[in-house]
Amino acid sequence: MIQRQALEKKKSFGRRDLILLLAVLVIGLIGIVILYTRPAALNGEVEVAVDGEVVMTLPLSEDTEVTIEGVDGGENLLVIQDGTAKIESASCPDGICVRHYAISRDGESIICLPNRVVVTIRGGEKGDVDAVV
Amino acid sequence: MRLNSKNWKSRLAAGLLSGMMVLSAGGCTHPLERFTTSFLDVFDTASTIVGYAPDQQTFNEQSGAYHDMLERYNQLYDIYNEYDGLSNLKTINDNAGIAPVEVDQEIIDLLQFGKEMYEFSDGRVNICFGSVLEIWHDYREDGLANPDEAELPPQELLEQAAEHTDINALIIDEQASTVYLEDPEMRLDVGAIAKGYAVARATEAIAETGMENAAFSIGGNVSAIGWKEGKEGNPWVIGLENPDLTAGDYLLTVSISDLSLVTSGNYQRYYTVDGKKYHHIIDPDTLMPANYMQAVSVLTTDSGFADGLSTMLFLMPVEEGLELVEEMDGVEALWVEMDGTVVTSSGFDEYIND
Repeated sequence: MIQRQALEKKKSFGRRDLILLLAVLVIGLIGIVILYTRPAALNGEVEVAVDGEVVMTLPLSEDTEVTIEGVDGGENLLVIQDGTAKIESASCPDGICVRHYAISRDGESIICLPNRVVVTIRGGEKGDVDAVV
Repeated sequence: MRLNSKNWKSRLAAGLLSGMMVLSAGGCTHPLERFTTSFLDVFDTASTIVGYAPDQQTFNEQSGAYHDMLERYNQLYDIYNEYDGLSNLKTINDNAGIAPVEVDQEIIDLLQFGKEMYEFSDGRVNICFGSVLEIWHDYREDGLANPDEAELPPQELLEQAAEHTDINALIIDEQASTVYLEDPEMRLDVGAIAKGYAVARATEAIAETGMENAAFSIGGNVSAIGWKEGKEGNPWVIGLENPDLTAGDYLLTVSISDLSLVTSGNYQRYYTVDGKKYHHIIDPDTLMPANYMQAVSVLTTDSGFADGLSTMLFLMPVEEGLELVEEMDGVEALWVEMDGTVVTSSGFDEYIND
């Protein structure tokens, strides 16, 4: 009878159980935080490719202006400002790249077909859009 | 009471365990990774493929196969360039009034589809409209190169060319695999359907490489197969470009799976004469750029039909097009009117994200 009481006492929710429970919860929380915040680091980069070749990669976090030398002497002025990238001016006749809005999210791109220039955001803030028409 | 407490503990343990299993299933054991590639060498436009694959090499092989298919279609359907050892649409055009040209089945199939599209659209979408479109193309190219000297094609020149656009002069001999333009002045121009048609065929064929979850964006044509992240029930998110490109964001986004979305618009390919914009989609009745709307997007399974239909809808008043789309099964559309008003067919809204 005494033995049985002791056994039952062991089974009830005790201090050690609480510590174990808290430990499991804390470890679980740390795991969740690592799993879901890892890709959100603010280290997006601006990748510039000319005719399929990556010619430069610039941090999205540093304001700068760079002239991209496209094919056939064509030029595009890339401006990175406040964590966004845009083409400020260009030599191409259609100017589609200049009219394009500033990009900042992973996978977004600005394309200048005449100069064969592709500016793409790699990493950083996740974009929710997979393709554009 | 004690029994309850034990119960509570085992439930908690089970809950924690299953929670951890869900987490690890979502975060670690998932075998597919997201990859992206772009190319600029097909259909005179920018292309992007987003796909989920077990590794980079697999994705490269699959997206490479897709690119190669498009490259072949691009060469076959090219009206401006010749390729060694290849009979393409330029070969047919160059032999107008001279001789039938033996061609590959892919050309026959496209031209048959073009004839169907002509019937369906009451002549609005006409692959034999090349003589007129050629004039607009030349004036646009000159106008873009020298904006100060940009001019409109003379109406008389356009009207003369329009006399050589009778689709019945396009003779397709399935048996002999030949195509012949009876009218020596006639020219094929498949710009309204070729890109979408090629995307449809390539998207069908890519399954053979094992590619199951991908979004192909070829100019204004998007085809999405399978699911985002390879997770069933998780659709692809496609942004519709705002015709006002300075607006800074998409007009809206839609969620789709195993569907194609094609836009025809006046805001990408155009040139400016005396401060006024003239885009590239020409109304066969007026021989001038159509002015019914800024853009129309078509949502349906076959990208070739979506491409042709978006051109057709661009060439008719919004209300008329809306009536037509409402009568069709498996087709939805969205119009952006001249003043920016968005009009949708009754089933389109369920694809739009909040």
